[in-house]
Amino acid sequence: MLHALLYLRFTSLKNRVVQFVRRLRQPKYLVGAIVGAIWVWFTFLRRLTTTLPAPPTGARGAALARASQALPIDWQPMVAGLGALALLLFVVFLWVLPEDKPGLNFSEAETAFLFPAPISRRALIHYRLVSSQLATLLQSLFLTLVSGRWSILGGNLLIRAIGWWVILSTLNLHRTGSAFTLTRLIERGVSPGRRRVVVFGGIGLVLLMTAAWIWRGFQPPRPEDTANVAAIFRYGQTLLEGSALGWLLRPFRLVIAPILAPDWVSFGRALVPALALMVMHYIWVLRMEVSFEEASIDLAQKRSAKVAAWRSGQRRIGTAPAKARRGPFVLLDTGRPEIAFLWKNLLSTAPYLNLRSLAWCAAALVFACNWLGRQPEWRATLPAVGIVAAFAAGYILFLGPQIARQDIRSDLTNADILKTYPLPGWQILLGEMLAPIAILSGLLWLAVLAAALAWQPHQASWLTHGLRVTLGVCLAVLAPPLTALQLLIPNAAAVMFPAWFQAVRTRGPGLERIGQRLIFVAGQLVVIVVALIPAALVALIPLGVAAWLFKGAAVALLGAVIAATVLVFAAIAAEVWFGLWLLGGRFEKLDLSSELRP
Amino acid sequence: MIEVTSLTKRYGTFTAVNGLSFTVRPGEVLGLVGPNGAGKTSTLRCLAGIIPASGGKVRITGHDIAAEPVAAKRALAFFPDEPRLFDYLTVRQHLNFVARIYGVANHAAIAQPLLEELEIAEKADQLPGELSRGMKQKLAIACGLLHAPKVMFFDEPLTGLDPLGIRRMKDSIVKRAREGASVVLSSHLLHLLEEVCSHVLILKKGEKIADGTLAEVSARFSNGEADVSLEEIFIRATGGSEN
Repeated sequence: MLHALLYLRFTSLKNRVVQFVRRLRQPKYLVGAIVGAIWVWFTFLRRLTTTLPAPPTGARGAALARASQALPIDWQPMVAGLGALALLLFVVFLWVLPEDKPGLNFSEAETAFLFPAPISRRALIHYRLVSSQLATLLQSLFLTLVSGRWSILGGNLLIRAIGWWVILSTLNLHRTGSAFTLTRLIERGVSPGRRRVVVFGGIGLVLLMTAAWIWRGFQPPRPEDTANVAAIFRYGQTLLEGSALGWLLRPFRLVIAPILAPDWVSFGRALVPALALMVMHYIWVLRMEVSFEEASIDLAQKRSAKVAAWRSGQRRIGTAPAKARRGPFVLLDTGRPEIAFLWKNLLSTAPYLNLRSLAWCAAALVFACNWLGRQPEWRATLPAVGIVAAFAAGYILFLGPQIARQDIRSDLTNADILKTYPLPGWQILLGEMLAPIAILSGLLWLAVLAAALAWQPHQASWLTHGLRVTLGVCLAVLAPPLTALQLLIPNAAAVMFPAWFQAVRTRGPGLERIGQRLIFVAGQLVVIVVALIPAALVALIPLGVAAWLFKGAAVALLGAVIAATVLVFAAIAAEVWFGLWLLGGRFEKLDLSSELRP
Repeated sequence: MIEVTSLTKRYGTFTAVNGLSFTVRPGEVLGLVGPNGAGKTSTLRCLAGIIPASGGKVRITGHDIAAEPVAAKRALAFFPDEPRLFDYLTVRQHLNFVARIYGVANHAAIAQPLLEELEIAEKADQLPGELSRGMKQKLAIACGLLHAPKVMFFDEPLTGLDPLGIRRMKDSIVKRAREGASVVLSSHLLHLLEEVCSHVLILKKGEKIADGTLAEVSARFSNGEADVSLEEIFIRATGGSEN
């Protein structure tokens, strides 16, 4: 029976590869795959081949010591300790978080075909374990590439790959075993609350026993124990040696040990107990006779719905779960229809993104910057606040449009209905863009306010109080058109190249998708730079006149900044309007059914 | 009134609809039937202005959908087979939004009876995610009817409805037609068309096979037999296959 299941798994894998190769016949995937491959080569593989650690020889840690970029070898116990702690936390979450029976990761098709089939439960478990091994191998390969330059891990690439595989496989087995055990506990009437009390109680007891142990044998640190982070950590580890927490972390250290081994001999010594632990997990999983089918079907349905939502663009990172709430403002029956789109799209954002929050944040910024300015010992931090605010403004302006997507990008699946509305295309697109413009402009205003408050006149002679206020106001005025221009580009991509856009926003691994996303980001950068050239040129006129005719006099500079702002505003607004007009026409003619045809 | 003259829709080299002409007067319900791939959905989407036609003319209440799309769309409503709703808007908020788009003054006075007629008044503060498939369909219909359209296009309107919902939907379509609306509906459910439609248009591979009143089309394909069902007429007209 297992052969049939393995046939299913490997045939599916083979067909996926064939499908990938066939997809490369389409230029959008081929170009994406080429760019993705180049990126992977330059980011991971090339560096691996050029800075690969020297092959290990001799004493433990010799290879690390020779590697030019190696962290000090005495940091390794710290890494092992932190790694073991991270695994412990992961395992605690596995036991604490589930509210209901966890189930196993089967796809919807697998639950439909395999569960009613004459297959034993044990065979299904084996199938699941083998299936997860394929994913684990790929993850191990990926992590090996990512950790290629982490010289603290020691060993060579193969040791690291096997080390990652040991960690991931053990965690996977533990997740399956804990899922079965939790299912059994739930069936026996153990509530999640009671379970959490037991887990947290156990951990609390371990911590108490550890505290008592340290109290009893405490030795004050010597100066060399506090010389650096590694020394502090070593000192802490000595304190914990033999304590309850130290014992609790031991199995996790066993799992971590192979990946930290600097040579094959140490690796072999570390691998034996780690594999023994894996075998124990395997026996645990097989011995748990529980019914996992119902919970697995639920899990498969939820995951399938989530994937469908991602693919349709209805789900995004940071999206709040749909919850009925009052509108952001009262929407009157008549008036500009664009406002209806703003109202609708604001409803889909997090509820705290509103004018009241903006006012509170602004008040807090004013208070904090004034307070810092009045404290002699803290005043020196103000320029740092200004720099952080400037970086935040840049981040919001350039990356904000990729995150705030409450516009046509999220509504593309509703395009058929939007197009039946009695509105020209440009009006629909403008209305759709208003919500992200409002949100990003609000955030930009906060960043500008913080920067204007933080940069005091005494920090630069030319930065007069008047100029500071004028610059702040002018930047605030320019925030909405700049945001609109930035948002216009991804919206244009969605309307002009819906098939490409659909492919780019589809989540999931794949060389071609990585490449498509890179091309998209690069394209956006090029377009925004080109779009800003006219605005920059018109801004130079009043600034040049002020510098040339008035020799940079303060009043002339103020006037020039204001005039430049008006001209830049007009130039960007004209570009946005022209872009919307063009895109509106395209949107009216857009036929998604033919565009998205494979 | 819907006036269609030589409507053609091409996707690249493939012609989905070829030279289609017909008229639907106020009070008439035209049933669009045809095998899979006959061009029914493409026709409806061209009529509603969702996709541009490759050729021909479509006039909605006298307005050319290509030249005056806004005026034409103000008079029409399109009901897709799959209700397209906004995840974060409740039933009531959907109607509020649509009212603003169409400029429906005092929409609450119109919306409440509509919600009651469609039996979703008690779900008014729920999100689409909390509604059944049938309820979502009803909400989409309520949104479409809010601005009292004079022209209505239904694409498979009974999909996902329970028997009672089907009955209500049929009554609703007939009621709107009696009030003077021009209705075009596409469906594979031929008994529905027999009950609801005054006229029928049979499409095959994008071309019109027959059109007219039910009696006229029946007479053409009945070969003199009495009481021939629309299903039988459909099979005879299309040759019993998609090709």
